[in-house]
Amino acid sequence: MSKFFQKNETILFLILLLLLVFLSFYNPQFYSIQNINSILRSSSTVMIVAFGMTILLTSGEVDLSVGALLSFVTVIVMDVINISGSLFLGFFSVFIFCFLIGLINGLVRTVLNVNSLIGTLAMMLILQGSVYIYSMAAIYNTHLIPAFTFIGQGFVYNVPMPVIIMLVILPIFVFLLNYTRYGRYFTAIGSNPFSSNLSGINNNRYKLIGFIITSLLVGIAGIILASLMDTGQQGSAKGFELIVIAAVLLGGTSFKGGSGTILGTILGILILKVIDNGIILMSIPQEFQLVVPGVILILAVYFDTLRKEKNG
Amino acid sequence: MKIVSWFLAAVITLSLAFSVSANPKRIGYIVNYGTHEWYQNVIFGLQSRADELGIELEVMDANLDINKQTQQAEDFMTKGVDVLMMTPVNEEGVVPILRKAKADGTPVVLEGNPAKGMTTLFAICDYDAGFKAGDAVGRILVSRGESEARVMDVGLPLLSATVLRSLGFMEALAQHVNAVKVHELDGSGMIDSSVEVASAALAADSNINVIYGINDGSALGGLQAWRAAGLPEDDLVVAGTGSEGLAFLNEMTKEGTPYLVEAAMFPEGVGYTGMNLAVDLFNGVDVPEHKVTPTLALTVHNFAKYYDFDKAGQKRAINFENVANIPTETKCTKYASDL
Repeated sequence: MSKFFQKNETILFLILLLLLVFLSFYNPQFYSIQNINSILRSSSTVMIVAFGMTILLTSGEVDLSVGALLSFVTVIVMDVINISGSLFLGFFSVFIFCFLIGLINGLVRTVLNVNSLIGTLAMMLILQGSVYIYSMAAIYNTHLIPAFTFIGQGFVYNVPMPVIIMLVILPIFVFLLNYTRYGRYFTAIGSNPFSSNLSGINNNRYKLIGFIITSLLVGIAGIILASLMDTGQQGSAKGFELIVIAAVLLGGTSFKGGSGTILGTILGILILKVIDNGIILMSIPQEFQLVVPGVILILAVYFDTLRKEKNG
Repeated sequence: MKIVSWFLAAVITLSLAFSVSANPKRIGYIVNYGTHEWYQNVIFGLQSRADELGIELEVMDANLDINKQTQQAEDFMTKGVDVLMMTPVNEEGVVPILRKAKADGTPVVLEGNPAKGMTTLFAICDYDAGFKAGDAVGRILVSRGESEARVMDVGLPLLSATVLRSLGFMEALAQHVNAVKVHELDGSGMIDSSVEVASAALAADSNINVIYGINDGSALGGLQAWRAAGLPEDDLVVAGTGSEGLAFLNEMTKEGTPYLVEAAMFPEGVGYTGMNLAVDLFNGVDVPEHKVTPTLALTVHNFAKYYDFDKAGQKRAINFENVANIPTETKCTKYASDL
């Protein structure tokens, strides 16, 4: 029983439960279908990217360029579909672009041996600048293809489409991390890169795959965001990378690598998003939406350090 | 007699030459955030008028960095520009630049935000722009037989300029109907943030019939959140502010859209007016402390008078003459100091 309560996911679940109870007492509208859908919809894009970030952080790496890439993706997908009138070409361009960015991030880390914190920070700056070289103005939806609008704004049996997309991706990552040797390799690489290398795991190859997977997931999230905004907008998704990283760390993934679960990540995101929602419902100044992930980021890393020290 | 005639002719020619004002040769403009659509269109207006007058315009982007703006101002003064134009990154930060320019003898024209020690400023009246949009929305509601406006204000509470817009909007609305602000949100002026906060607010209470955005991104973000929540658009009225780029034109020209009003601020017109002000200042003309630039409530019925919109080509061309003919306030009804 005491082990049950020491488990990270259990603590997160209890925190989430407390928040839910408090907010539902404060405002009964909190439990409306509309509000639950709103929380889940805004959580979906973060979760999709966070699945990749969990793998990356577990392997001891990080990607700070996800927010800038997300913003760039909204511009590319809207522009290509406007020009071609083809959803397939729009999505294809996005995934090719994201694959290349992930590949570059991975190669910078594994071949040039640049710390991923620095390498992806540089990529973030490159993407933030080059999106304006691509287009100075926002790209508006002139193709008016209903299927595109449906991706971000549609519902299936009262469930928002972004949530359904996230739910399709979720089991793949749960399975990958928990039930395949590849998932265990990511943990092993993050836990002890020397011994994983000695045991025949190609660390660099898996790290490269981690960067590519994360970027491809950003592609999916970017398509959803573009559909939701009905616009390709430079400068959107400001601070997105910090929210993703804060949520993943809050979920129990170690910043130094070696441990992390998808369930923890999901709980971490839900806690942050419920707090965001509560801030609006309680009419608290919204600047706290930035303060909260910042504080949580510090606390999560601090508790991770404590946990590591305790485990020797 | 012939000598006298030559002498008189020479005197007349010389006096004419000195009385006709000359245009400045080079003007430097430091924009505070050049990648924003609003400023791209301000620059377009400045450049258009500079081309007409044969003035060389050089633009630098401070990218929201006051240190960079200070350095750029010094560079322009070293280069010897005839007039320095600036959109201050912040009001306090440009005071030393103004002091230095005064010592250097370089005339300075500010855009947007006033600063201590400035000579002249060209800017819109935020309160009045919001008021005009509120007035237009109020008339629409009355024509629909509505007696109450329940408003979701997708604002930016940290900036006095945007607070003034919201205030003007609500006060004008209250002249027509019973105006209630149901939600006062901070959308950060960005469409994605606005979608997120508006979604949460609508989930708490979706009984609203007016969405007001302090800029186009905020208004569209509010509208997208409404659509994503699957709410009916029949009784909704959306009003945006700024006419920053193509966003409002794209939405306003859609069949059946609730985006009916835009508090247009004509950024190209702002630039055009600013260039005229810079020329006047250079020529020693008595310039006002605040040159108010035109604002107007645009609807689908009157936008074509001011903008030629090519929807397929995603381009807009401003009609400078018609914008210049919009009556402007001599001073704003309310300023930040009135808040």
